[in-house]
Parts: sequence; structure tokens; C-alpha cells
Amino acid sequence: MPSQIVSLVVNGERREFIAVPGATLLASLRESLGLTAAKRGCAQGACGTCTVLVDGRPEVACLVAVETVAGREVRTLEGVAAGGELDEVQSAFVDCFATQCGFCTAGMIMVAEALLERDPDPSEEDVVEAISGNVCRCTGYRPIVIAILEAARRRRAKSPQEEAVAR
Amino acid sequence: MVIQAVHVPESAEAVVTCSARGGWIMGGGTVVMPLVNSGAASVTELISLRRAGLDGVEARDGVARIGAAATLAAVGEHPGLAFLRPALRTIGSPTIRNQATVGGNLFVAQPYGDLAVCLLALDATCEIAGPDGRRDAPVADVLGSGVGSGEVVVAVRATLPEPGTWYYHKAMRRRLNSAAIVTVASVTRTSDGGVTSDGVVASAAIALGGVAPRPVRAVSAERLLRGRPLTPEVLTEAGEAAARGDIDPFDDAYASAWYRRRVLPVHLRRAFIPPVVR
Amino acid sequence: MTDRLAPTYRLAPIDTSTFADERAAAGTGVDGGGDFTVIGSVVQRSDARGHVTGRTEFFEDVAPARLAHLKMHRSDRHHARILDVDLSEALAVPGVLRILTHADIPNNLYTPLKLIGVGPDDEPILAVDKVRYLGEPICAVVAETEAAALEGAARVRVAYEDLPPVFDVEEALKEGAPLVNEYHGQNHFIYEGHHCRRIRFGDVEAAFARADHVFEWRYQSAPIEQAPAETTGCVVVPQADGRLRIHSDTQACFFTLDNTALILETPFNKLRIVGGTVGGGFGGKVDVVVEPVACVAAMATDRPVKFVYDRAEEMQVSSPRAAERIYIKDAVMADGRIIGRKVTLYVDAGAYARHTPYGTTKAAAHLPGPYSIPNVWADCHCVFTNRTPSSAMRGFGVTIADFALESQMDRIARALDLDPLRLRLLNAYRDGDLKAHRKVAEGTALVEVIQKAAEMAGHELPEAYRRMSSTTREGL
Repeated sequence: MPSQIVSLVVNGERREFIAVPGATLLASLRESLGLTAAKRGCAQGACGTCTVLVDGRPEVACLVAVETVAGREVRTLEGVAAGGELDEVQSAFVDCFATQCGFCTAGMIMVAEALLERDPDPSEEDVVEAISGNVCRCTGYRPIVIAILEAARRRRAKSPQEEAVAR
Repeated sequence: MVIQAVHVPESAEAVVTCSARGGWIMGGGTVVMPLVNSGAASVTELISLRRAGLDGVEARDGVARIGAAATLAAVGEHPGLAFLRPALRTIGSPTIRNQATVGGNLFVAQPYGDLAVCLLALDATCEIAGPDGRRDAPVADVLGSGVGSGEVVVAVRATLPEPGTWYYHKAMRRRLNSAAIVTVASVTRTSDGGVTSDGVVASAAIALGGVAPRPVRAVSAERLLRGRPLTPEVLTEAGEAAARGDIDPFDDAYASAWYRRRVLPVHLRRAFIPPVVR
Repeated sequence: MTDRLAPTYRLAPIDTSTFADERAAAGTGVDGGGDFTVIGSVVQRSDARGHVTGRTEFFEDVAPARLAHLKMHRSDRHHARILDVDLSEALAVPGVLRILTHADIPNNLYTPLKLIGVGPDDEPILAVDKVRYLGEPICAVVAETEAAALEGAARVRVAYEDLPPVFDVEEALKEGAPLVNEYHGQNHFIYEGHHCRRIRFGDVEAAFARADHVFEWRYQSAPIEQAPAETTGCVVVPQADGRLRIHSDTQACFFTLDNTALILETPFNKLRIVGGTVGGGFGGKVDVVVEPVACVAAMATDRPVKFVYDRAEEMQVSSPRAAERIYIKDAVMADGRIIGRKVTLYVDAGAYARHTPYGTTKAAAHLPGPYSIPNVWADCHCVFTNRTPSSAMRGFGVTIADFALESQMDRIARALDLDPLRLRLLNAYRDGDLKAHRKVAEGTALVEVIQKAAEMAGHELPEAYRRMSSTTREGL
């Protein structure tokens, strides 16, 4: 079977590209679409550095054969800071010193985005579980957990009225 | 080998037709794709179940029917399958659970495949599609000897356990996202419905993971428990019987065979009498 | 509402009040108008914005047109003679462009520390007639795609004649042990004519003779892999002017530049390293192992070439922290004073030197630990075995020695029923003490650190020990 034209909705835009058989979603994002925020750490699904959102849920892009997600919505770190302005998760990562070498950061932030969308007020345990598939070898887990909780707090503070209604 | 084609058939029948030509069937890709990425795949074609319409999850009239391509996350989120949630949370990370499938879990090598251990304890039935049509097979047979050439598991069916009869415990090196040292899953009925420790065991199905190349039933322990109360002493005795008679443990990066055999009685006991968390 | 929005978690963000006193005392700080505006204030990391937006450029984010991929065929033996290398099947794989062997490398022999005068060169870039560890690179397959390169590498056929391997440092030093590395000629590194790095200070045997107790124990560590999130790798891009631009995640840009130039037999100014962005290193990315062969591949194909380890390679062949075996024998008086310490330390270099001769010297310089012991004898051996070459990792040479030394201190305390902190305070070095390697200790502060730790842990120390100081001989 020859290469195929695959179409994805990436960060809100329809993108088409040619995929060789067996190309992963990660390789397609990085090499075909030039979106290099997601990293290849292990290509085994064990480190989480390539985590992106597929239809809003975190998936490790290295284990997704791209043909199998044709037509679906993919969100990467490039799609988070709309118009160059950092969102709450990104700014909390900066302010709480949750980055060191930076290699795990994209995956950590995407997992955090999905978590906070589902649960605006996660417990520390919820955060730890959410990032349990993401390895930080600089071992900065503590500031990362703090940053995600801080991001949740900032996001709730931004919309206290919505918060009140929700309660 | 270099992959030449990835097929994404849109029905179970199309999957069967496709796999007749060879290639590996993959659910979420969490087992197959690592091999593809490292050049270690021994096939040139992949057949994905992602769009084959096999991802339904139902639980009604006391029976669960789960499509082979349902993700572990989808199973965990189904309100009728809440009893499986604690078990599912011990498998991989939430991210991996968005990808890994129920069907795939039946075919992973131990010490992975904790859901398969659960399905074995539930005495589940696999619905299999193949060149000769559909058939059912006990999950124990599929775990023991796989499916025939060209066949594919399309769904798993299981009777939901009565309240108070489901037990699960997994010993891991880490609290989250780690493979099994020992996994214990069980449907056990006691004469008083499990409310007190005075009741005696009426029936017990105990499945073990991490202690053999495949998930196994702890038949020695099941036999020993029947007619006796679920006390620490009886459970330890049952665990020791299982460690002697039912398992074939292995060494790996998580634990040695010796260690797995040694701690099985402890974890079998903990499945029924959870330790007090301080 | 306010409560609801306040942090409720156990973990607390960074508290900058710790330095408030220092800032006030110095009359400086943000408000003070002095020069020291950074101390005690929160300064954003300069690279954080790039990291959280995904715009930081790691080497693998570079995607030049016509990029070719390199994968290595590696030894599947621990120790063997290479009888034959058959490339025919590999060359027939569609997409394979070129396969490099040792004959393609201009100067196929190096050692990373040659730049500071450490020799001999002992490691081929690509194996010649022998492999000395499992995973040693034999030939490099360059292909249009990563999949084709992997397939080509898998189809290289090597005929071996197995040689007896040696995996144990003490076995390797025995008479008649298999010779691991012919470039050294024996299974240990030679330090200025000596068979090991030695320390001789006072008379340790006399100390054993008059000691109240003699304790001897053995310590052993395993190799430890740094396991950075980003694996070792580089992208080499030939430039229009004939230079090579090397995008690398090396921790040692200048080491890489110089060693690569020596291996390529090219002037240094023909190479340009673009580096400094490292997805975790921890010492594991200082060995100059991917760049030289990727450069040769880029020159041979006149195309940009990427050579990056997969996770299995990172675990198996990237150099870990060395395994060490340490014997410590102490002469101890009844009151806990240690009057003599004899250490025999073996560092497993694996098959090649890399940075381990240096690590072994660091271990020697660290002995006998932060204690003033009047009689010290140490032999620190850098030993070659048929294991993965070991190299740098966070405090290499020192960390494992500390594990052994501090375990030894605890065991002595237990054996003599002494408080382990008092035992350390009694023996801790003081400013002005002459260390075993003839340097005078300065700014030691160990006494104060132990006192503070005891206080914070609620561990009671007698008055005499609380009054001890690293700047006086009080209480000794």
C-alpha cells in the first residue's frame, strides 16, 4: 500500500499531509506539520514526552499509527498559547519553576490541560495520577504538581462567577 | 520489518477479511507500536480496530458486553462497571488507558494484562469472529491458547458480580503506573453475603496475574476456601496452597520468581482483607 | 469564596522570605537600591517561556531537507573476534544509501580525555577486528528513512569467534584473565607508571597494630544509567562552504568539537557545534559517541544526517555511572577516634576508558571522606572489563565512595554502640587539617552541618559536642 494523504484537525485547523505506512502521529506532527513541541523520548509509550490531546483526551502520539486517527481533532502545545499569550497552565509552570531541561514540559502541560478541562479543582492526588505516565528525569515532580494546582486555582479565580454557578 | 500498510477496516467482517492476508491486529497500539518503532515487528502490515465499530460498552440485566476495541478508560467511565474502576486505575497511566483496549489486554505478556486477570476471575466469554463465522470461547481458553488463525476477538461478555463479592488487589513497585508483582482478582460469595467475617465461602473464583506466563486460576486456593471463613489465617493458608500448586513465576525487572512466590500469600490475603491505610 | 480560591494543597510554592534577613542586613534588595537585586528575589528562568510554549529548539527539532537517518549495527557478543562482516543483504534494503565501516573513519581511534593529556587512545569509533562489549558499534547504516536504516542494520551479518569475557573487576586483575583492551595491554589503567591511583599518608599498619578495634567491610554498587528523557543524538548538516554544522544534545560542546575534529582529521574551524539545549544529561552526554560517525556519514552522502539513540540503546550502550567495589578497613580507638583507614577501591571502567580514569582519581582525592584520619592508605584501581564503558554521572567517583564511607561510619557506630552523629563529630575534619592527599582543608563546615541537622531532627547532643566548631580544636 502506498503512502496516504491523511487529514487531521490540528489546533483547530484542517491539515493534510502524506503519511508513509506505519508513520506515527508523533512523526507526522513533527516532520510533516513542523509541530515539534511534542518530543520523542522513548517511542515506547513509557515516558509521556509526546503526549497530545486526541479529541480532548491525552494520548502518547508515538503509539498512534496516524492513519487510525484520520479526521480527528488533535491539540498540541503549539495550540495552547493563543496569540502568544500564555494560558494559566503555562504561566504557572513558569512562575512555579516547573521546567528544568524542558523535555517533558510539553507532555506535562497537555496532560494538565486535559485534567483541568475535566476537573477544574483537582486534588493533589488527582494531579499525581494524571501525570503518572509522564517522566521528568530532572525529577522536578514537586514543582510540576504545584504548578498544575496553581494553574487550577488561577483558572478558577479568573471565573469566580462561573465557579459560583457551578456550585 | 518496514511496515508496508496500515489497514483501518470499518467492520468486524472487514477486519476478518483483512487479517486473512496476514499482519498484526492492533487495538490501541500500546503493544504493537513499540515493536514497530524499534524495527522489531515481524510483519509488514497492521490492522487497526480503531474504526471497526468494536468499541461499545454495555452493562444491562446483570451482564456486561465490552467491545474488543473499547479503551480501558471507556470501561472505567461506564457507570455499570464501577466495580472495575479500582482495578483499571492500577493499569498503566490515565494517558495509556485512553489508548489501551480490552481486546489488547487479553494478548499482552505478563506481568501486564491485569484486566485479563479480572476477566478470568469473572469467568468471561470471548466473542470471536473468524473466516468460519462467529463463536464463543471461555476467556480462560483464549488466555491459554489464543485464537485460531484469521480469528479476532470482537467482544468480551461477563456476568456482573453481585454486590460484595468482587475483590481485587495488585502489588506494584510504585503506587501508580507499574506492572504486577502479584495481581489478585476474585468473585467470592460467602454464606452471609460477605457482611461479616463469620460467613463461610460458598464459591470462589480467584485469578492471579504476575505469577505465571499467563493469568491463572488459583484452583488450590479456591478449593481450600470453600466452606471456610475469610479469616487472615484461612486466606494465608489458601495463598500458600496457591503458591505451591497454581503458579509458575518468572524473574523480571519488577521482581524475582522467588519473591513473587514468597509474597503471593500476603497479597492474596490483602485482596480480601485490605491493610489499614494510616 | 476567598477560602475556596486559596491554595489547599500540602505542597507550597517557593517561599522567598527565607532570604529577607540577609537582604535587610545587606541594605540591598529590590527596595534597598543596592547591587544585589537578585538574592532573595524570584527570577524567572530565561528558558522557561520557550519550554512552556514548545518553542525551545532541541537538536531533533531541526528538520533540514533531504535528511538521512543513521542506525548502528551493534555487537551481540560481550567479547569476540570479528571474522567477517557481510553487508550485501543490508545494502539491498530499499532506501539504504551507504554503510560505513571502520575503514571509512579517517582516524578511527580516540579517547575523550586525550584533550587533557590522558591516553592512550583506546577506543575505535567503529569496531575493527574485535568487539569488547555487548552493543559495541560495528557499522553504521545510512538510509532515506529511519525504518529503512533499522531494517538495514538488522540485516548486517557478522561472523564472530567468541572470546572469554570478564565481567568482574577483581577477576579481571588476576593473572591469566582475558585481556579486554589491547591498547592498554593490561586490564587496568596506568597512572604515571603506577598500577592504580594511590594515597599514602602516615603509617596505616602501625595504626592497626595499636587500635582497640579493627573493622573491615566490603561495599558494591551496580552501574547506574542516567536515562535522560531525551536520548543521545545529533543532526549534522553539510554547509555550502564545506563546513559541517552539528546540532547536538552534548553536554560538552567544546569536547565534542575538538574530539570530532581529531577523529575526522579536519581543522577545528571546519566544524560548528550548535548546542547548549540538553533534554537531560546528568553526565551521560559527555562522551562524543554520536557526532563523529554522523559527520562521516554526512560527508559520505553529502546530505544532512541524523543519528539518535533509541531508548534501548540509551539504556544498553550509553555510558552509565561505573559500578564500584570498595573495601574499607579502619583502625578505631575505644572512644570512636579513627586512627587509620585503608581503602581498596575498584572502579569498573567497562571496555574503554572514557571518563573513568578521571573518576577514579576523583574517588582517590575524596578519601578518606570528610574526616581527619592521621594514617590513610588507598589503592584506587580503574579496571577494564567486558561491560558497557562507564563514564560521568553526577559526582562520579565521589558518590559511591560516600555510600561506602558513610555506611562504614554507621556500622562502626553500631558495633561500638556509639551515637553515629557524635562519632562523625569526633572525626570530622576541621579547617586547617592536612588531608590525606596533602591539601589543607578550608571552609569545611561539616561540624556545623551535623549540629544543625541534629537540632532539626530533634537529636540531642551533649554540650561538649554542641560547642565543637570547624574552625577550632574545641572538644578534641
